[in-house]
Parts: sequence; structure tokens; C-alpha cells
Amino acid sequence: MRSTVPLIITFFVGLFMVFEFFIPHWGYHWVTAEFLEWGLILAAGAFVLGLINLVQVNLPKVINRDEDWGYKLIMLISLFLTLGAGLMLGQEGRQDAGEFYKWLYDFVFTPLNATMFALLAFYIASAAFRAFRARNVEATVLLVAACVVMVARVPLGENLPFIGEKLPQFMNWIMDVPNIAARRSIFIGAALGAVATGLRVILGLERSHLGGE
Amino acid sequence: MYDLLQRFQNMDRRWIFAGMALAILIPLLFPVEFEFAVDERVSSLYDAVEALPTGSTVFISADFDPASRPELEPFFRANLDHLFRKDIKIVMATLWEFAPPIAVPITEEIAAAHGKEYGVDWVFLGYKPGKELAIKSIGENIPKTFPTDSRGTPVGEIAVMNGIKQAKDFPLLINVSAGFPGTREYVLQIQGQYDLKIASACTAVSGPDYIPFYKAGQLVGLSAGMPGSAQYEKLVWAESEPPKGTRKLATQAVNVLNLGHAYVILLILFGNIAYFLTRPKEVSDD
Repeated sequence: MRSTVPLIITFFVGLFMVFEFFIPHWGYHWVTAEFLEWGLILAAGAFVLGLINLVQVNLPKVINRDEDWGYKLIMLISLFLTLGAGLMLGQEGRQDAGEFYKWLYDFVFTPLNATMFALLAFYIASAAFRAFRARNVEATVLLVAACVVMVARVPLGENLPFIGEKLPQFMNWIMDVPNIAARRSIFIGAALGAVATGLRVILGLERSHLGGE
Repeated sequence: MYDLLQRFQNMDRRWIFAGMALAILIPLLFPVEFEFAVDERVSSLYDAVEALPTGSTVFISADFDPASRPELEPFFRANLDHLFRKDIKIVMATLWEFAPPIAVPITEEIAAAHGKEYGVDWVFLGYKPGKELAIKSIGENIPKTFPTDSRGTPVGEIAVMNGIKQAKDFPLLINVSAGFPGTREYVLQIQGQYDLKIASACTAVSGPDYIPFYKAGQLVGLSAGMPGSAQYEKLVWAESEPPKGTRKLATQAVNVLNLGHAYVILLILFGNIAYFLTRPKEVSDD
């Protein structure tokens, strides 16, 4: 009974949402809009679950002084500091430039987030130097294509003598022909996989979302 | 010579990092401007905005964060200026929780430069969690997805929302997308079902993923990364200057990228030369 009822609900809701794509009737769409609203409420509720989970996982490790407990403590302090500031200031206060919440965003989160992304440039340079080797034909093709795209994507490529005019055309060919051919096949394969998984869930063959099995 | 090349291949990566830092810093300190052409994908995006009738309303999904800000903010600014100067109204929302503190002040600044009024000429509906579900819901019913704007005003009382029920009521949907959820999800969830016109400005790394959507007609335009933003700036501000407080950020930055890209290519080139010159000896040692 515990697994039969969720399976029946999954079957009917799954089929209902699939048919929504093919039935452009307002009444049908009114019902699907309700389902979507429930889904949005559940998605918002997932943040609360995430909060509980973070505390459940990290707090015992801090108390027991487990490995890296210091980082976990900083994470928990940051979590409650941001949450507390956001809740106390309310909707208007969170957007106020003079308030603590906005200060946290502008002067703590923004530089940290941007720094993490900017570090990629350095690691890409290092990885390109050490790992990007023309060891075989496939690797050589990849290497040449990468170099052409890299140089043609910036104005320098267009302004190179002799090849500058042709380089962007060659880059566009790489992006429009081999790139699209590969991407489309990946997309179609992934989409067929998603359809198969969806069908398995609707028909009750895939039950991992119910826990166990 | 062999030992030197071996040492070169195994050099401390901090030297590579220092080289990259210089490749970025030098053009920042001593800017050199190169001319660049506009890609067909970016000009299609520009044309899609140009084709909008005055007084129409577009939907912008501002889905980016501080990490992707350098690539996407220039497009975002140029796009807002483009729309406001054509007297096009904007309904904006986001699926990224980190976007509102970036997107709202920029929109307020550019709206003020054009004398546009909040609620009448533009509105920010706020952040909505739920990823694909939220996108599907935007396609289905916007007032139900966003019952109020970010300031708590019911959408029924907001002038710019008059007559707007779902995504297909907009002649154009612009997605400023830094990743998931973003352009791919908009295309998969609602573009085909409602036959929407969607334009996308994405990060350079997402660009190749979205080109098939553009080629299939599922996107009406595509601006990828800093070069895309620079090309859009070039089109938008070809005959006018950016509004007060806005600079041609991407046009300046794309020229900074020149040396960075050249540096990575040189590293690959020299790395391979060293690899091939040292390889025969490695083989004979075995």
C-alpha cells in the first residue's frame, strides 16, 4: 500500500502532464497550472529541507571536531548570518544598499563568487600546457579546432595577416557543422534517454524516487 | 637540450599563472583596440529587437550571477538601452537567486536615464525557485507564477502587466543565461509548445550548446560570451553613445582577451613542441 498509492499518483499525474502538451483546452491547462503551482511550492519547500540537511550533516562534525570542522563552522555561521540578516530586514531592506544583507552580497559573496570563476583562466592555461598533446589523430584534430576557435573568437584573429579574413569563416564552419552534428546527436540521445526514464517512472518500473529498491 | 625541455614541461605551474596574470594585466594597462566584425547570430538578435513595434512588451529572464557578470552585464546593459530607447516595455524575472541584486540596480539606472517609470514601463517580478517547473509555469500562467512583483504589488495592479497572461503574450523573450536553468530549459520546456520567439545571451562556454537551437530556428538570436556582448554593443551604440554611467565594457574587455587567448595557444604550441622533441628519447629508454 505504501508504494502502490504513490505509484498510482505518479502514473496519473505523469500521463496528465504529458497529454497537456497535446491538448490545448483551457480547462485542461487550468488543472496543469494548478499542478505546476503545487510543484513550485514544493520546490520552495526544498530550500527548508536543504537548510535542515546542511545543519544535520555539518553540525555533528563541528561538535565532534571531525576533519575540516573549521570550514564547516564557517559555513554554518555564514548560513545563519545571511539567513538572519535576510529575515530581519524583510523584502525592502534586503535591496537597501546601506543594509548589512546587501553588504554581505556586495562585499563577501560577489568577490568570492567572481574569484572562483576567474581562477578558471589560470587553471585552463596550466591544463592546456600540460595535458593538451597531439598524441594521436583525434587529439590533433581537437587541438587544431580548439586553437582556431580560440584565436578566431577574439578580434586578434580577424586582424592576423594573410589568414585573418578566412579564420572567422573557418571557425563558424567548425561551430556550425561538426559542432552541431555532435551536439544534436548528444541531445537526441539524451532526450530519448529522458523519455525512456520518464516512461519507466510513469509505468512504475523505476521506483528509486520512492526510496529503496 | 633534452633536460632543458624536460624541465620546461615540468615547470612550476605558478610560472604559468604569472604569465596568465601578465597576459591579462598588460592589455588592461596599455589598451590596444582591434576592429571586429559582427556575427550573424548577434545581428539576428539585434534585428529581432529592432523589429519589435514601439510600445510592445518583452520578457527578460535575467539568469546570471556575479561569476558570469563580466560576460553578461555588458549585453544586459546594451539590451536594456536598446529596448528602452525604442520605447519597449520590460517585464523581468529571474530563476537565479543571485541575480536580483545585480539585475535590479542596473535596470533602475538605465530606466532612469531614459525617464522610464517602474510599473508603467518596466517591472521586476522577482526570483522564482523551481527551475524547469518555474519555466513551464511562466509558459502557462504568469500571474499565477508571480502573484506579486518583487516589491509586493499584486500583478493585477501593475500597468505594464495589463493583458499579460502567459509567455506567448510577449512578442519576444530574452534570456540572459549563465547556465542551468537557462536558455536550454526555456527552449525545451516552452519554446516549441507555445511557438515562442526566444533570444539568448549566454556565457562563452554555453555558446556551442545553444548554436543548434539557433540553427533550428528555436532561438531568433544568440550572443555568446564577451565577444557576443561586444558585437551587440557595437550594433546598439553604432550611432549613439551609451547612457550615463554605462561604458562599452565588452568592447574594452574583448580586446583584453586577445593576449590571454594568444598566451594559451602559445602554451599549447610550446608544450607540444617540447613533448615531440623529448618523446623519442622516452621511447628508446623504455
